[in-house]
Amino acid sequence: MTSLGRVVIPGEVPTVPGRRRGGYWRDLDWVLLIAVFALTILGSVLVWSASRADLASDSDPQSYLKRHLITVGVAIGLGFLASHLQYRWLQAWTPVLYGAAIVLLLIPFLPGLGTTISGARAWINVPGGFSLQPSEIAKVAVILMMAALLAERRDNETEPTSREILLAIGSAALPIGIILLQNDTGTVLILGAVAVALIAVAGAPTRWVVGLIGTAILGLLVAVQVGLLREYQIERLTSFINPAEDAGNSAYNANQARIAIGGGGLYGYGLFEGPQTQGNFVPVNESDFIFTVVGEELGFLGSALLILLLAVVLWRACVIAWRADDMYGRLVASGVVAWFSFQMFENVGMALGIMPITGIPLPFVSAGGTSMMSTYIAVGLLQTVRLHRASTLP
Amino acid sequence: MILLVATAIVLTLFGGRLLELQVLRGPSLAEAALGQRLKTTDLPAQRGSILDSAGDPLAVTVEARNVTADQTLIDDPASTAARLAPIVGIDAAELTPRLTGDRKFVYVAKMITPETWNRISDLELPGIFSEITTRRVYPGGELAANVVGFVGAEGVGMGGLEYALEKELAGKAGNQTFEKGPGGRVIPTANVERVDPEPGMDVRLTIDRDIQFVAQEAIAERVRSAQAASGTVVVMEVKTGRILAMATAPTFDANDPGSAKAADRGNRVLTDVFEPGSTAKVITLSGVVNEAAADPYTVIKVPPRLRRGGEAFQDHTPHGTLRLTLSGIMAQSSNIGTILAAERIGKYKLYDYMKRFGVGDDTGTNFPAEGDGYIPPVENWSATSLPTIAFGQGLSVNAVQAANVFATVANGGIRQDPRLIDAFISPTGEVITPESGERTRVISREASRQVLTMLETVVGDGGTAPLAKIPGYRVGGKTGTAMFVDPRCGCYTRDVVASFIGVAPIDDPELVAAVFVSQPRSGRYGGQLGGPVFTRVMTYSLQARQIPPTGTRAPRIPLTAKG
Repeated sequence: MTSLGRVVIPGEVPTVPGRRRGGYWRDLDWVLLIAVFALTILGSVLVWSASRADLASDSDPQSYLKRHLITVGVAIGLGFLASHLQYRWLQAWTPVLYGAAIVLLLIPFLPGLGTTISGARAWINVPGGFSLQPSEIAKVAVILMMAALLAERRDNETEPTSREILLAIGSAALPIGIILLQNDTGTVLILGAVAVALIAVAGAPTRWVVGLIGTAILGLLVAVQVGLLREYQIERLTSFINPAEDAGNSAYNANQARIAIGGGGLYGYGLFEGPQTQGNFVPVNESDFIFTVVGEELGFLGSALLILLLAVVLWRACVIAWRADDMYGRLVASGVVAWFSFQMFENVGMALGIMPITGIPLPFVSAGGTSMMSTYIAVGLLQTVRLHRASTLP
Repeated sequence: MILLVATAIVLTLFGGRLLELQVLRGPSLAEAALGQRLKTTDLPAQRGSILDSAGDPLAVTVEARNVTADQTLIDDPASTAARLAPIVGIDAAELTPRLTGDRKFVYVAKMITPETWNRISDLELPGIFSEITTRRVYPGGELAANVVGFVGAEGVGMGGLEYALEKELAGKAGNQTFEKGPGGRVIPTANVERVDPEPGMDVRLTIDRDIQFVAQEAIAERVRSAQAASGTVVVMEVKTGRILAMATAPTFDANDPGSAKAADRGNRVLTDVFEPGSTAKVITLSGVVNEAAADPYTVIKVPPRLRRGGEAFQDHTPHGTLRLTLSGIMAQSSNIGTILAAERIGKYKLYDYMKRFGVGDDTGTNFPAEGDGYIPPVENWSATSLPTIAFGQGLSVNAVQAANVFATVANGGIRQDPRLIDAFISPTGEVITPESGERTRVISREASRQVLTMLETVVGDGGTAPLAKIPGYRVGGKTGTAMFVDPRCGCYTRDVVASFIGVAPIDDPELVAAVFVSQPRSGRYGGQLGGPVFTRVMTYSLQARQIPPTGTRAPRIPLTAKG
């Protein structure tokens, strides 16, 4: 499969050698990159607008934006590094990354190190006022781990064995279980979607896929029944059905989001001019509800542009997955597609009131350092898959 | 491929939902949003000032701050309270509960000065804010407090002129419509609709704060030394009817009305009515002189006792049969002489003069709770009515009415309504002078002159008020010692209202000062209790108004018939 004739030593990040056509810069998926950068720029402006109003009047109104731009810089750097990774190196290091991700997931449970935000104990305090969300790292780790397990010793045609499927499901179930304990429902749903997608793409028999989806639904029902999900989680998940009937905070959020977006009309109020945004009516509008900012301030046209950019990202990711010349690359790319699409749909959908409310950011747009980094790493991985194919074409 | 189709479906769904929310339902949602943000707050109008005749402030409205707190922003209520406590002067233990909780708006302290707020602001305590408000300040404290009145906690007049002139002083509140965030913070970018408040008018009184001050001091001292229940002083300008001072004792501090007794917050000068007693003899004798039924030199035989309607009337000091001139009757305040003089004009004329001098008529000052006084209609008079009313019993007046009787005599016999309000000054500086009341001639100029010479004999040798003399000036007046009618039972008590009402200079009258001491425990007679207060207040007033002595000499008018 790979044409590399050298031994990859862990700790060393080799560049792609021996390209037959073009070069690294030429072979990158520029349409994807431009869409991602455009989303990031648009997102930064929206974060700026949303955070200005949150900050106390005597503090620097740009302070939140500055932090956001720092994380964007770091994220782009990480993405750049990720795009240089070799499959073999990647596969060799996946268990380590996976293990590290599991350990990181457990850290928030340690007293003094974890932070609870919006009821989810899913953050690790990092010096400098930043915090790390290990479940974001887990998304990358789960995709890589499942891809490695499902692609072992196989080409595109053979079905994975039951043992491989069970192993892969197990590798996803472990972090899902931990994240469930952290009360981070949104990430659980995303990882579930990623797992189902990877099993399906890997060519597993239909019964597996149907069974998995059935299990997930059953699991959710059981969780609600036995009270595994906290009251607020259920409330958040159901309040979108009838937001106008005030049922506390979640319905309030859904209703505020709808009012803000609706107020924007066709052209919006203009940047920094959205009264519901600047008035701080919509909660966490620099992150989970960032779509309300574009909706109110830039109107239908701005929102449509944002959705179009998200669509371009998904389209390019799909194309990369489709064109991947090996099962591993296809699985990695498909995992990213599943992750991005589910997260984008969920985030935009909840702002529009057609999906239940869960606390997840909009990729590339929302503030949130770890999410920004993990999504850029994912873009880097998509580029790796694309570059791998380019390097192996005759 | 399936993924792409699914993505396309979801995106179409999003687009449709966006269209529905933003384009189809946009206007109604935008309206819902606006309704949620709009908050209308009243903009208080600046209350007009109350000024003395020279424009010095007696009541002004100054900027003040209310300290407010957003409890959700306060991390450590105890330490915040500890730092605030010494500045606002409230115990930290009392402050802490106001800072604890999850309410976004609570009052911490009200009506502090802007300077005090600056000190709090310098501490940069999170969650502590201020609200601009106004505070009514009475720079003089007790000065003219009973005239000016006071405002309640809401800044609305509750007493005195603050109450009576509420409409003029208050102005018209405006309002401002803000767009506010859920935390109550004003949205910086939002439009604001504003209706400017209309400030109230300033009111300039006729009160001269210097004379007012001296009058208050003098009467307060007299009330103390005489152990009296209360006392009042009125100073009036004869030619204009302007009231220069209206003093009451005991009084109160208008900045702290709550700590005073309700009775001390009113303006007794206008609210309290009492029997005028002997000072009413001026009305009777003015009528007699004006009707030419007698003149100051007319001799009347005054017996020791006079029987009328089954009652025997006496004078305050027993005497044999005297041959007193009309002046002597005034100077010695002879009841019997006054009755005999009154009988020369009869009860209808007497009643007529009482009414024309303003007994039972409101003073026109429109002061709240003014007592108009009372005189029974002449049809209802009994056989003893003429004698008693002639020397001031069986009718009632307030202090301003009593003073205005003397001002009328002093003003050449022309009565005018007393004036307390000099002018209203609109916010644009326009001066609005209230209509001056009617001027009515009550007695002739000649009668007026004659009564004044009679009044001068009261402070002369043989008069009842030698203590009311003022060196260098010719003054006149009349003492009164009326029985105090207890308002609760409407019956006479052993108490009296001692009074002295005087005019100066007597041959070219400028000022009238009236002194009333109610229910004294030490001393009893108007000349003795009221005279010195009159002297002090009038002496100061003459100097303050720069009224020169006339330089003439008092005529020698016999009080008794020679031989």
